[in-house]
Amino acid sequence: MKRVSVDIGGTFTDCFLVFDDQYIEAKALTTHHNLANGFMEALAQAAESINETTHSVLSQVDSVRYATTLGTNALIERTGPSVGVLVTAGYESAIPLMRGRGYGEGLSPGAQADLPGARRPEPLVSIPLIRGLRERIDYRGTVVLPLDVEHLRSQVRTLIDRGARAFVVALVNSVMNPEHERLVEEVILDEYPSHLLGNFPVILSHQVGGRKGEYVRATSAILDAYLHDQMYYGLSALEMRLKESGYQKPMLVMHNTGGMAQLNSTHALQTIHSGPVAGVNASEHLGDQFDIDNIVTTDMGGTSFDIGIVVKGGIKFYDFNPVMDRWLVNVPMMHLETIGAGGGSIARFDRLYNTIEIGPMSAGSDPGPACYDRGGLLPTVTDADLILGYLDPEYYAGGHINLNRRRSEFAIEDELCELTGLSVVEVAQFIKQKVDTNMAHAISKELGAKGYDPRQFTLLAYGGNGPLHCCGIASALGSSQILIPPFSSVFSALGAGNMDQMHVHERSVFMWVYDSNTQRLMDQYETFNNIVAELENLGREDLKRQGLTEEAIQFRLELDMRYGNQLTQTSVVSPVRRIASDADLLHLIEAFGDDYGRRFGQGSQAPEAGIRINAIRVLSFVQTGRIPFRRTTVYTDADADPVGHRLCHFPGIAQPVETAVYRADRVPEGAKIIGPALIESPRTTYLVERDWVLHMDQQGAAWIRRV
Amino acid sequence: MAVMNQQELLEKFLGQTPLFLGPDPDIMKEHDIAPQTDEEARALQLTTDPRVISLVRSRLQSGVNEAFEMEEQMGAAPGAKWGDLICGIYSASGDLALSSTGGVLVFSTLTQHPVKFIRKYWMNEPTVGVRPGDVFMHNDARYGNIHNTDQSIIIPVFHEGVLIAWISAIVHEGENGAVEPGGMPSAAESPYMEGLKISPLKVGENYQLKRDLVTYFQNSVREPKLQLEDMKSKLFTTLRVKQRLEEAIADYGVNAVVATLRRTLEDTKEEVKRRLREWPDGTVRTVLFADSTLRENVLVKINLTLTKTGDRLVFDFRGSSPEFMNRANNTVLASLKGMLSQLFLSFVWPDLPRNQAVFAPIELVVEPRSTLNSSYETPNAQSMMTFFPAFSAGQAAVAKFLYSSERRYTELIAPWYNMITTFIYGGITQHGETVGNLCADLNGMGGGAHETHDGEHSIAPIFAAMADIGEQEFNEEENPFMQLVSKKLMRDNQAFGKFRGGQGYQMMMTTKGSPFWGFMTTCIGSKFPSITGLFGGYACPTYPLCKVKGVNVFEEFQIHPERFSFTIEDIMNDRPFPNATYSTHHMGLQFELAKDGELYMITQGSGGGYGDVLERDPQLVMKDLEEELISPWTASEIYHVVYDPDTLRVDEEATLQERLQERQRRLQRGVPYQEFVKTWVTNEPPADLPFFGSWNDRDVIYAGGYAGMPQTKMAADAITPVMMPDPKDVRIAELEQILAQIQHGMEPSHG
Repeated sequence: MKRVSVDIGGTFTDCFLVFDDQYIEAKALTTHHNLANGFMEALAQAAESINETTHSVLSQVDSVRYATTLGTNALIERTGPSVGVLVTAGYESAIPLMRGRGYGEGLSPGAQADLPGARRPEPLVSIPLIRGLRERIDYRGTVVLPLDVEHLRSQVRTLIDRGARAFVVALVNSVMNPEHERLVEEVILDEYPSHLLGNFPVILSHQVGGRKGEYVRATSAILDAYLHDQMYYGLSALEMRLKESGYQKPMLVMHNTGGMAQLNSTHALQTIHSGPVAGVNASEHLGDQFDIDNIVTTDMGGTSFDIGIVVKGGIKFYDFNPVMDRWLVNVPMMHLETIGAGGGSIARFDRLYNTIEIGPMSAGSDPGPACYDRGGLLPTVTDADLILGYLDPEYYAGGHINLNRRRSEFAIEDELCELTGLSVVEVAQFIKQKVDTNMAHAISKELGAKGYDPRQFTLLAYGGNGPLHCCGIASALGSSQILIPPFSSVFSALGAGNMDQMHVHERSVFMWVYDSNTQRLMDQYETFNNIVAELENLGREDLKRQGLTEEAIQFRLELDMRYGNQLTQTSVVSPVRRIASDADLLHLIEAFGDDYGRRFGQGSQAPEAGIRINAIRVLSFVQTGRIPFRRTTVYTDADADPVGHRLCHFPGIAQPVETAVYRADRVPEGAKIIGPALIESPRTTYLVERDWVLHMDQQGAAWIRRV
Repeated sequence: MAVMNQQELLEKFLGQTPLFLGPDPDIMKEHDIAPQTDEEARALQLTTDPRVISLVRSRLQSGVNEAFEMEEQMGAAPGAKWGDLICGIYSASGDLALSSTGGVLVFSTLTQHPVKFIRKYWMNEPTVGVRPGDVFMHNDARYGNIHNTDQSIIIPVFHEGVLIAWISAIVHEGENGAVEPGGMPSAAESPYMEGLKISPLKVGENYQLKRDLVTYFQNSVREPKLQLEDMKSKLFTTLRVKQRLEEAIADYGVNAVVATLRRTLEDTKEEVKRRLREWPDGTVRTVLFADSTLRENVLVKINLTLTKTGDRLVFDFRGSSPEFMNRANNTVLASLKGMLSQLFLSFVWPDLPRNQAVFAPIELVVEPRSTLNSSYETPNAQSMMTFFPAFSAGQAAVAKFLYSSERRYTELIAPWYNMITTFIYGGITQHGETVGNLCADLNGMGGGAHETHDGEHSIAPIFAAMADIGEQEFNEEENPFMQLVSKKLMRDNQAFGKFRGGQGYQMMMTTKGSPFWGFMTTCIGSKFPSITGLFGGYACPTYPLCKVKGVNVFEEFQIHPERFSFTIEDIMNDRPFPNATYSTHHMGLQFELAKDGELYMITQGSGGGYGDVLERDPQLVMKDLEEELISPWTASEIYHVVYDPDTLRVDEEATLQERLQERQRRLQRGVPYQEFVKTWVTNEPPADLPFFGSWNDRDVIYAGGYAGMPQTKMAADAITPVMMPDPKDVRIAELEQILAQIQHGMEPSHG
């Protein structure tokens, strides 16, 4: 196999190259002005390390796969075009009001609770650029007020006069009947054909999101329109650059649904957060190859801590209404929970309880922790890690950043010691314990809300600070097994290398599987089956358009189900793709009940209130070859030679402990290291705490298990 | 055995023979945290390290937050779906120590009372008892609640046979079998018309709900599915919290958990006292009027004197309106306290932990039998109509202390809009189900203006952060109504000021496809602003309920689609449907059957304005004009901005001059204070003013002046409840008067 996959993050562009049996990691700084530069530099490094040229690599690989932050950047920097939005008259304020709670989406719980401080984000579309159309469709898709076309023309002209350079059409109940949205598109193209004013993108909301919710669908479409140009031109330029460098196939773009597609089959919205999602995808693949049933993925960086869940049986966890930047949308995205905990998280005194709290404020990378000596004066988690002896001031980031321990001590002394009456070391011990506990609680809440016991999960730890804090997190969580994955520093890029080509199509429905009023099971088999067939067909066409054969296409049917009128929509993988009998329905009801009972408790099911299907979702995909990991089958328990020893402090232990220090590249495969120990690499430090033991695996992977 | 004396015998007899165990006055009047128990003292002695307590607290908080998310997901009530719920952990004594970060805190705070009732009366009651696995439930506000549309599930937590905590989950359920559908009947003339009245009641054992009782509740309401689903969802929510609590005990020990609950309460109380000391000493007075009982237009006075001395803060509501015997707008005192604690936690110190100790150091003075401290026999389903204005009076008064405070913990704002402007509905859906509930639109109340910037439009209710106004497409899918105008900001519906309040939206509702469907609205503020402004900012505008009957707009859409307009202003001014009737009303609409295509139209008010309109940046005025938030008239006549109407370019110099002139005109319009007092102040309310409350002297309470009711006077400490006439009788009397005039050949007067 020959394959290139790239994940562009905020700081680094990670590249993972598979070239037959050679696996190469490479990193370059992200070049925000032109992402292709960083992309090509990382690729050049990788090629050089196997004595190939970029051109020769690109001309031989089966695919180039790409996860990008282009869209995220455009949102944060507000660099999108002026978007004009056409909505059903009477609904003009839905977008600026953001369902009320929109002020707090994407913020910390503390910020959400502060009502006098509540401020909505700067809008992507200002109020004068939202115009109402005289039309109305009801919940079944019946037109109750025909579209007034003359009025439409005048509203379009108004938007153009006000500077709109892209259009979003988001009409009420358009997912039940898209007739009016399509008519609006026709009229816009008729009024402003591309030869007059250039190609204005027109985004129809029902084509971006297939589920109900007029606000979230409109927001999804707005984000799509807002990001469209930048994404399209940015990625096209990259594709051209790849072509010039020898790559003749279509570039594959990672989606936040956990699949990928060619550029011409990608909505801009689908690329947001695709990098972290690729990390979860890599974990799923790792779970398959390493025979791990349940994995909780943890990515601890400088400012945030991402949590993902992978469980046996292929159950996927989606956010049906994910938040992108500050915006609630309704395109399904693989579930990721992020909390404000990282190396840069600031520790502060909590006067109320006479204790120390951590985060969510972060010193980030500028000024960064106090020990960076770049002007940061507040104590952070990294400062505590340094004080406790876990970090080597001379070898942090491979020696690229020199850490100043005195700065850390000053920061802790000034901000925390006097107020708490604790010593510098005692404070640092508590910072470590508290941040680990906070992360463990976040994992516990995530798993608990989905009905899982954290003790049954393997903790997968990656990100710059993951391996350093994983034992503390696992101890607080009650987990007994940690895996530091292979190629952990480019793990998301590796995930991109293992994705399937996939498209997701979904539709809101109102169907009673069981109507408790009449005590009858659903008999609309044909209606249900026709919708499934239609969604499969959409997916099939998407994939065939990208040159994939019909025989290779697989489908997976998921149903969002609920009891009575609940909010919850448990996504159930349907045991059958067509309903043909009561037995099929009873199987479905059983699958739903099992999953629901696991999440909320056995006995919490309420079929007496009726059982509904709210959405039908079809995942259409073509599996592509997986990158095989190597795994050590026999652990030799060979000794590794430490490069030195340091005195380290650990929470709960009063005296410092003599701790062996190893270099990761000198620890042989199969070696066993008993904690406490430190294994350092240029990109991270593994901390094996007391009562834990590490076994080094291949390709940089390591198992840490509780003794 | 000692012989009992006569007094002891009498007390024993009386103790054994109560008619029934009604709300306990001692439990209901107390809002301080309970005295430290021996178990708590021992636990605190054994757990002195604040670091351990910090770890346990975050563990428990995480568990409660997890359970809250679960409750929100499982709940079937619209309230549960859109944020109108909460769960919490209580100490063994029944004090709320920790509640979920999200949700309606006041629910949780008020559940301390039923928990304490269960503890006091059922623990040792042989026919009830409190044992591991027991499940309790309640909804009656007189035992501690807002109103009986909110239902709780409560479970005790034991450790090795010892009661160590309680857990509750509460949801605004909506339908509860009251005289009107939807759970908040404004037509209720006694508590017995308000639907289910559940005193703290054991409804399950071994963590299983008793099917006979569940069936009874289902049989008593219009939505049996909802009743079943949400009893289950609340039970499993509390069980999840219990699981997390037990895990914390396993990891840290029971003493650490008990100490954490107690320390959290005590530390919070001390912190509140410390923060109060940061405020200047002084007294601030605020008066507001609820302008309706929801049945008739009257002035219901809310009279607040707020005094701060050292670390004491006293809310004195003496002089407020008397209670109403046959109106649902009465407030149980505990509900008022719960709402005021919400004021501090949401708007003053949002960084504080969410527990009941936040309000523990604060004192209240409220006359018994006043509308803010109503008695047992008065209905309270619409208590919000008096305690929301009381909240707003408090918010305005507190702002004045905060302005001069040494330190603030959030921004200083004018009062938030305070009314639940939405449609309550009931009937048979297009799917054949009988329902009664409300739309989540009420959750978008407009924010007050700030010291430095404008308020946010329709953003959050006064009782919860991160509440949701929902999506209309989901509503229409389940219910046979359509919002033809859905939450659209209304022009000029603005509390003006140097910084304006956040504006409110208008809604135009109609029904389609039901054999039986009706609407209600329950809101004050049609005649008198429901909130004030701050430091010269305007109060919230007033707003009527508008109806267009005798038309089916869906038929009009097919024949004359051009006739329809998408604003209330245009519909009511242009009257586009020739044979329809157009009418305006106060916002207390009792449940009324609606026909397909008839229009019911309402609008919210807005958050209060801050500062003088003449100091508003003219560019902000132009921005509001461009966004159609204000009319050209407002720009020039309220804000006195001179601009080019075509380009919206401000003439700065002309604006400056115009504002100078307006200041001169203000001086000319003004009169010296004493002169004003002479012409304005009377000793008593006018005989025909429908007025309820004190006038000049807060010890004397007036009631009457409505529909021929004489203006009666009573001592504030001897209030007799007010009995209002039936609005239909009032209307009949008016019509009979008109008929008599016609019969006598006179020009009829219009009532």
